[in-house]
Amino acid sequence: MKKAMTLALGILTSVGGFFDVGNIATCTQAGARFRFQLIWAMLLATIVVIFLIEMSGRFAAVTNKALPDAIREHFGFTFWLVPFAILTVIHILVLGAEIGGVCFALHLVTGLPLQVWALPVAVLLWLFLWRSTFSAIENSTSLLGLITLCFVVAAVWHRPPLHDLLRGSLPSLPSQHPANYWFIAVSIVGAVIAPYLFYFYSSGAVEDEWDASYIPVNRAVSVIGMAFGSVISIGAIIVAGVVLAPRGIHVDDYHQAALMLTSAFPFWGYVLFAVSMGIACLGAAVEVALSMSYTFAQTFGWNWGEDLAPDEDARFCLVYTAALLVGSLFMLVGMDPLQLTMITMALSAAALPFVAIPMLLLMNDRKLLHDAANGAISNVAAAAIVVLTLVLAVVSIPLAVVGGS
Amino acid sequence: MKERLDVIRDLLDRQLVDSDETKMGRVDGIVLDIDGDGPPRIDHFELGFAVLARRIHPRIERWLNAIRARWSVRRSARQIVPWAKVVDVTAYEIKVDLKAIDTPAFDWERWLRDHIVAKIPGAGGE
Repeated sequence: MKKAMTLALGILTSVGGFFDVGNIATCTQAGARFRFQLIWAMLLATIVVIFLIEMSGRFAAVTNKALPDAIREHFGFTFWLVPFAILTVIHILVLGAEIGGVCFALHLVTGLPLQVWALPVAVLLWLFLWRSTFSAIENSTSLLGLITLCFVVAAVWHRPPLHDLLRGSLPSLPSQHPANYWFIAVSIVGAVIAPYLFYFYSSGAVEDEWDASYIPVNRAVSVIGMAFGSVISIGAIIVAGVVLAPRGIHVDDYHQAALMLTSAFPFWGYVLFAVSMGIACLGAAVEVALSMSYTFAQTFGWNWGEDLAPDEDARFCLVYTAALLVGSLFMLVGMDPLQLTMITMALSAAALPFVAIPMLLLMNDRKLLHDAANGAISNVAAAAIVVLTLVLAVVSIPLAVVGGS
Repeated sequence: MKERLDVIRDLLDRQLVDSDETKMGRVDGIVLDIDGDGPPRIDHFELGFAVLARRIHPRIERWLNAIRARWSVRRSARQIVPWAKVVDVTAYEIKVDLKAIDTPAFDWERWLRDHIVAKIPGAGGE
């Protein structure tokens, strides 16, 4: 019974973790500029993220250790220091972008400028983390996240031509704007394979006290949850492709993205977009902030756990407190949330080898994992993923320079 | 059965857990005792940012110590866990017979709890 609940919740939570500000930005841009032609990038990213999430969950279930903990222990502090520093910067940027997404959603509904919302959003997120337990966070972010299904409903309502969708599912070369095309493709991958997902997910498995008997549950959660999240993202690509592309609306600003649901839902479309974006980004912001606390606490060996009261793990709580404060600064100084998101996604893609390579080496350690170590299929996937992340690391930042916007 | 411990692989950087299962830090450094003709033996573990800083570069350790001298709440730059206090070394953690909250390893934790966290409503959980 507990496992059935874990399964259901896990799937819903991974939907929440999957669809966030990065997906909203990259999917609407992909659809608006290249209609369905970039669906393949989303499919590729989904397959990769399924493998990586499955591995990080399996690792935590068998060893009772989350990834940052194991990486420091296994590779030593001096190795971990550089990835740790880079990932800390990425955590802060992603948190800033997610807070930006929430602020923009509130701006759409209220008309008040984003700056006004930056601190209230940070305080709201902080209150939530300060007061609630890990399972309360799972429950609320997962159920509310179902609102994002409106993108799928709208996509079906538009009846997109099926053979165009299928053609978009296979990689093809763009007829124009190649730099922009590849930049968005890379950003989609960067948005889906977010580094924080693995640290959050494996730490969450430790919080929920998984053991080796959870391996099948973990496998189902990774495959179904990530596929489900991917369907919502593809829904967003389709809607943007049907609604925005023919009108020549290039998403240079979230305001343009906000129009996309108004054809399917004439009256509610605008509000529905705002609510979906607000909830998706709130949920993701909670996960990013916690992931940052997990990473710090495990790196330095502090006591940690979202189920502990703040006075039992003061340092853990102060890390997310500081992260939220710093993360809210981007909106406070008036940065454009879409630009922040796109820069963050490119940097995030560039940092992926630091996440993938240590993780894949650990997955082959039989001393830690015994029979649950990676088998042949996982290792072939792992090798391909390492190659992919290395390519991304090399191309993403140059592409952001030539292909951005 | 005779068990072997590899000092770097099995001890360095491993999580330390106290007698209440509280995570009290990691093995940031290992100090051996070389005594005349006997073989070197492990004397104690070292914990602390200063120990980590020295692993990166001695100059960073000097900078850190200069900062520490002005602002740190810690009683000493490095905390010591005597080898004699080690109860068990498992594949995942090292159990020690100490209470973390009473040791200098928790100076920061205690200070932050008393001066910041405790002053914010709701810190006690209930």
